[in-house]
Amino acid sequence: MLKKLALFGAIALTAFATTLAPASARTLDEVISSGTIRVGVNPTLPPLGKFDEKNQIVGFDVDFATEIAKMLGVKLEVVQVGSPDRIPFVVSGKIDFVMGAMTRNPERAKVIDFTVPAHTEVLGILTTEGQEYKEWKEMDKPEVTFVQVRGSTPVKFIEENLKNAKVTLLDNYPDAVRALAQGRGTAMIDVMDFMGEHMEKHRNTKWKIVETPVDVYYCGLGVAKNSTGLKDWLNVAVFEMHRRGKTAEMWKKWFGMDMIEPVQVSPYF
Amino acid sequence: MGYVLQYGQIWPYLPRLLDGAWLALQIAVLAFCGGLLIGTLGAAIKSFGPRWLSMIVGAYVTFFTNTPQLVQIFFLYFALPDAGILLSSFNAVLLGMTLNAGAYLTEIQRAGFESSRRSELEASEVLGFSRLQQIRYVILPHVAQVLFPPLSNHFIIMTLGTSMAAVFGVEELTGQALNINSMTFRSIEVFTVTAGIYVVLTLIASVLLAAFGRFAFRARTKLI
Repeated sequence: MLKKLALFGAIALTAFATTLAPASARTLDEVISSGTIRVGVNPTLPPLGKFDEKNQIVGFDVDFATEIAKMLGVKLEVVQVGSPDRIPFVVSGKIDFVMGAMTRNPERAKVIDFTVPAHTEVLGILTTEGQEYKEWKEMDKPEVTFVQVRGSTPVKFIEENLKNAKVTLLDNYPDAVRALAQGRGTAMIDVMDFMGEHMEKHRNTKWKIVETPVDVYYCGLGVAKNSTGLKDWLNVAVFEMHRRGKTAEMWKKWFGMDMIEPVQVSPYF
Repeated sequence: MGYVLQYGQIWPYLPRLLDGAWLALQIAVLAFCGGLLIGTLGAAIKSFGPRWLSMIVGAYVTFFTNTPQLVQIFFLYFALPDAGILLSSFNAVLLGMTLNAGAYLTEIQRAGFESSRRSELEASEVLGFSRLQQIRYVILPHVAQVLFPPLSNHFIIMTLGTSMAAVFGVEELTGQALNINSMTFRSIEVFTVTAGIYVVLTLIASVLLAAFGRFAFRARTKLI
């Protein structure tokens, strides 16, 4: 067993090392002359990316990338990526840019470049009407029970910042939202944009999203460090997506609600 | 290959695991006692009760022994609130495990009841024992000896079964292990230690049960 594990590990590591190997991302010219742009989409993040009945990847990210490919006048090739491999894929030039809630942060920006934000993610508080809390800092009380998904990042945030509140940990998002709908807790802290689909399933519950967000993340498109030409062009494209209202339209289509914290579009970037 | 086991990162969390183990044991004991009560009643009805009542018990046993326990608790936890009954995480798990145990223990005990010898029963009838007296003085002492080993086995199974409480937000041993795993990412270490605690837990339980069995019923239980 151990030997098998070791062998498997060795193969996995070699495979991983090869993906990292000679890194050369394509320039804008190379993308145009090849006639295809390759975009990484993570199908485990509905509604940004998911598999439909025909096992095709669809979602906000795919629509967004389709529109960008159209602007560039090339065909779109969707490449499936996962959380751990998506940045190596960009670095090694397997894909031209990556989507999938790529929150820009200083650590990632050391390895790849980011375009201007394509969308935001709001870490916020989902609660029900009748709960009078105006912001998360008011919720550090023993009578508050958060219903959270076991192992998700906000659990750590609550343990550190809301020590007095109680926490009920459930297995997955549908269970946690259902428990909240049934009155098993006061609120839930998570990325609110992904909640639309779940809230929709409990129509009888009068949901409320607390208006002061806990945190806002800006998600851009991830591009390789050495493909400046492509990044500059993508910046213009993303700006146009916002200006033409395409982003807002697609967001509404896939998320069932407006973007909670719209990207403030600036003509300077 | 380069994986280095680092138990050092796990030890600071040991108290949380032990808290979880204690909670698991509490759930197991409470559910087992409740189940034993239901089971004794159920077995008595199935062996001696009126036909219609025996059929109801039969339906209960069939239902609970033929559906997964996890599904039963899901029903109690997530379906009942729509009917206006909101059980807390702990209560839902406890009730689910008790009802499940009740069904299994009914069957186990019925088999035990039927093992009491016909001649003994007839003798007690001749001596003018009532049904209740028969149960109390003839059947129970005999049955306890036969039943003790399977009952204590079921208790061990239930102790391990408490791990599913984690799904419903009860922070017993498995729940704590999952939490610590998501904080440290030391999966192998966390679950090795957790498995170790389960072994210790069930080992202590079987030793205590065996000692009790020998003392009270002169039942011979194999250790380990």
